Amino acid sequence: MHAYEITLLNFLKKKRSASFEELKTTGIGEDALRWAIEELSKMGAISVEREELESVELSEEGKSYLKEFPEERLIKELSKGSMRIGAIKNKIGLIWAKKNGWIKIDGDKVELTGEGRNAIGKEYALRSALSEIAKGVVKESAELGVLSKRKLVRIGKKSIIKNIVLTETGAKLNPIEEGIGPLTPEMLKTGSWRGKSFKAYDVNAESAIIYPARMHPVHEFINIIRSTWIGMGFMEVSGPIIESAFWNFDALFSPQDHPTREMQDTFFLSNPKTIDIEDVEALSKVKAMHEHAWKERWHKDLAKQALLRTQTTSVSVHFIRKYAGIMNANYPVKLFSVGKVFRNESIDYKHLSELHQSDGIIIGDNLALSNLIATLKSFYEQVGFPDIRIRPSFFPFVEPGLEVYYHDDKLNDNIELCGAGIIRKEITKAMGLNKDVLAWGMGLERILMRYLGIERISELYENSVAWLRKRKEIIW
Amino acid sequence: MAVTTFSLKFLAALGVDTAKLEGNIDKIGMEVEKTEGDDVYIDITPNRPDLLDSVGFARAMRYLDGKETPKSNFYALKNKPDLTVIASESVKKVRPVIEAMVVKNANLHGKLKYIINFMEKLSETYGRKRKKIAMGMHNLDAIEPPLHYDAKYEGSFVPLGSEKEMSFKQILEEHEKGMAYANTVKAGMYPVLSDSKGSIMSLIPIINSQLTKVKEDTKNLFIDITGTSEPAVRNALNILACMFIDLGFEVYPCIIEREGKELVTPQLSYREVRLRPSLVKRAIGADIDQAKIITLLNKMGFDGAIYGRYVLAYVPPYRIDVLNQQDLIEDIAIAYGYNNIIPMPVAGTSVGIPDEQNEFSDRLSNLLIGMGFSEAVNNYLTNEEINFKRMKKPIDSERVVKLAYSKVEIYSMLRTSIMPGLLQNLSISAHEPLPQRLFETGLVFGVENGKPFEKRMLAFVSEDSRAEFSDIRSYVEALLGTLGIEHKLEAHDDPSFIKGRCAAIVSNGTAIGIFGEIAPDVLESFGISAPVIGCEIEFMPLFERCCAESGRSNAK
Repeated sequence: MHAYEITLLNFLKKKRSASFEELKTTGIGEDALRWAIEELSKMGAISVEREELESVELSEEGKSYLKEFPEERLIKELSKGSMRIGAIKNKIGLIWAKKNGWIKIDGDKVELTGEGRNAIGKEYALRSALSEIAKGVVKESAELGVLSKRKLVRIGKKSIIKNIVLTETGAKLNPIEEGIGPLTPEMLKTGSWRGKSFKAYDVNAESAIIYPARMHPVHEFINIIRSTWIGMGFMEVSGPIIESAFWNFDALFSPQDHPTREMQDTFFLSNPKTIDIEDVEALSKVKAMHEHAWKERWHKDLAKQALLRTQTTSVSVHFIRKYAGIMNANYPVKLFSVGKVFRNESIDYKHLSELHQSDGIIIGDNLALSNLIATLKSFYEQVGFPDIRIRPSFFPFVEPGLEVYYHDDKLNDNIELCGAGIIRKEITKAMGLNKDVLAWGMGLERILMRYLGIERISELYENSVAWLRKRKEIIW
Repeated sequence: MAVTTFSLKFLAALGVDTAKLEGNIDKIGMEVEKTEGDDVYIDITPNRPDLLDSVGFARAMRYLDGKETPKSNFYALKNKPDLTVIASESVKKVRPVIEAMVVKNANLHGKLKYIINFMEKLSETYGRKRKKIAMGMHNLDAIEPPLHYDAKYEGSFVPLGSEKEMSFKQILEEHEKGMAYANTVKAGMYPVLSDSKGSIMSLIPIINSQLTKVKEDTKNLFIDITGTSEPAVRNALNILACMFIDLGFEVYPCIIEREGKELVTPQLSYREVRLRPSLVKRAIGADIDQAKIITLLNKMGFDGAIYGRYVLAYVPPYRIDVLNQQDLIEDIAIAYGYNNIIPMPVAGTSVGIPDEQNEFSDRLSNLLIGMGFSEAVNNYLTNEEINFKRMKKPIDSERVVKLAYSKVEIYSMLRTSIMPGLLQNLSISAHEPLPQRLFETGLVFGVENGKPFEKRMLAFVSEDSRAEFSDIRSYVEALLGTLGIEHKLEAHDDPSFIKGRCAAIVSNGTAIGIFGEIAPDVLESFGISAPVIGCEIEFMPLFERCCAESGRSNAK
């Protein structure tokens, strides 16, 4: 008989019956305890009283809805305009969107109601309930009823140990140890183990689960990005998160009436409302750059607005300015930064208000698109994208501009990785630097989601202990 | 980006090889979002409003395919001014700029829908939702020139698509377009276009009158563009004029009379930009000779000529994005094909250098992980409820970095401490086995003397069925001891900690951190059901002391 079984039996001999919780006070771990109970019950030494509990599990269909319900997909499609009923393949979505009052069907025309428009991108109560259940949280609710009716969840029974009672057989049992159980310091000291045999353990017996303490995957991934750039000879730099519109927008040639400069897209601050631009020389040159290019008045007041940076390119432009003041720099200068950026966005499974970006620049003479492409190709090869593609793209601060993307065969879609280009001469001139500057900026979360195999972006920053303990390793 | 819908049939009628469409669009850096029957949805980048229009888009495709070769001065006006618009001084303060043109012998059958769509799209995007520019199209035969552009206090007319006459006020309050664009006008100073008989043609930039409605069989048109920016109005008029010329309609300029001066619009003129082949080579990294540059320019719609060592490029009036040489070099690179550029590593060597603070932060992370703490990364954005109220701390609004506006309700400020985030992480982990140990390194924010500051911190918490002051003290001593930071502990009072079980870490005479047992009312407010101990400590004193000791410079 195993030492655990003996302990358990002796405990029960005194008490006759005990709950599972009480048995844990013997100091036997939960998993070992379950094993010992099982063994003793097989011998007929104890009887186990169980309690049936309701359990709820997701069906395959339910799992596939975690990201998006068909009715949510439908209203998203309809947000681009009404559709003919015949053209809608998503019949499930149609039924439920109608039930929810999200759409109205007029003849054969299907269009969104006001309510439907409001529902786009919002928390959907059914999906919230479903994901709660996926996490193991079950509450009696109207949603649970609907989910069950839609066969997205299965309601079943689960039995748990309630009480353990010593049987007649058990009471008569005189436990004898079969060989040595756990080896103790005492035995080693006295040498009492000599000449005795050790009890053979079941190698498949359950053991306690251990969760190693770990670094957060975002941090781990940032370090992969950092070491890759450092390995390519880049110096790491950083800059402020709270910025003036001047360094985030104006210095980067973004016109003052550009739509991204509205409250709808950018987090402007009410405290502090403004940030002084101490670099008066840059200020007057940037003003001249805008007024020359756009033939419109440029307002210092708008440039002083305080905001949370929307791109780490603000760090790059600070350094372009900084190098204008360094006399004997050893060109080419290669810099990169990693940091948080902020967008005033409604949050859904694809969007967050707070994200990580990495920007880089190379400052030097005679730098061409061919150099930029070679640099980015080399970087992406090292972080697991050997087949990147390049196409032209538009960003206000570069000319020519390009976009790096890859073709995701599983999604059959082109996924954007990075925007890049040669910094406009207007900008380097306004910053007082007579050099070519290659520049790029990339978001990190999207690639990381691919590595971790997660679909909902907000999962990255919920930090539930369960997820931090059990998440996948980053593999590429 | 603006997603625009084109009809494949219409594009084909305009000479586009639709089989090659997707490849060509990719080549110029735009993207086909999707194709549905006859409709193709294309994402047009904001620098090319001329491509928002089927006609302009088809033109670009024909050039790219070599079906047509651009000729300088093709888009020009041969006709004499046909009509006068008298702009009064009253519009100066409300919507100062107006330019206009007349189009005759138009054949709008099958095209009107696309033209209207384009004008609306242009006003929405380039026109910044009609604020910067907006445009109107009228039946020329229904009006009596000269026309008047004034700011009026009141008036009424039958708006387009309606049957009853409405006052300006009614339009702004009840009409769909009026409500949508009411924010573009000031009450009591409405920009109005009317003809010589006093009939109102348009309440600008809201809606036109039913009187001048354009139908498919309308032959002659009057087009007005108004706005707050002269260059933007001119650019938009150029784009429209080129579209009508491409459609084979006759375009006539108008005279704009203002304060005794006369201006003729549009003035379709080509700009000459001188290109240095050496600069083309320098930017692209490929040897491209003068003749090749001209061929590539042609594909992008520019006529070109050799001029000594230079190439002259003639920029047509609709290419409003071309500011100088750089923009042309991009077009040359696009025509050359980004995928034809041979990647070339940057010459010269450099040494990669990590940021010292990030390196040190990683060392702290390793120590914490070694002690069994897992790392959390929480948002910097938070709210007063979590950051202050649940921590039982007073809100010090003067010192808080506040957002002016957030779409997401739970964000109103930047965190001033890491601890609340970690407690929140524990609160959503109730069903996981204890102990639960978390740490985080990152920034906290504040405002001092009107200036924002960003401060790096380290915090760690441990939740267990038994978690006591002596445990957290052990962790703190292990951390500071390993780093060799000399310090002493002082009893401290903090509303987030149990009174009498909280200490300040004092080093070199200043408090650099705090630790202790989290107060039960704080745990209750987070919904945590087991004791928690925690510590939050400033990063910079640790960094400075360690790096000073190791003799490393701290350059930053």
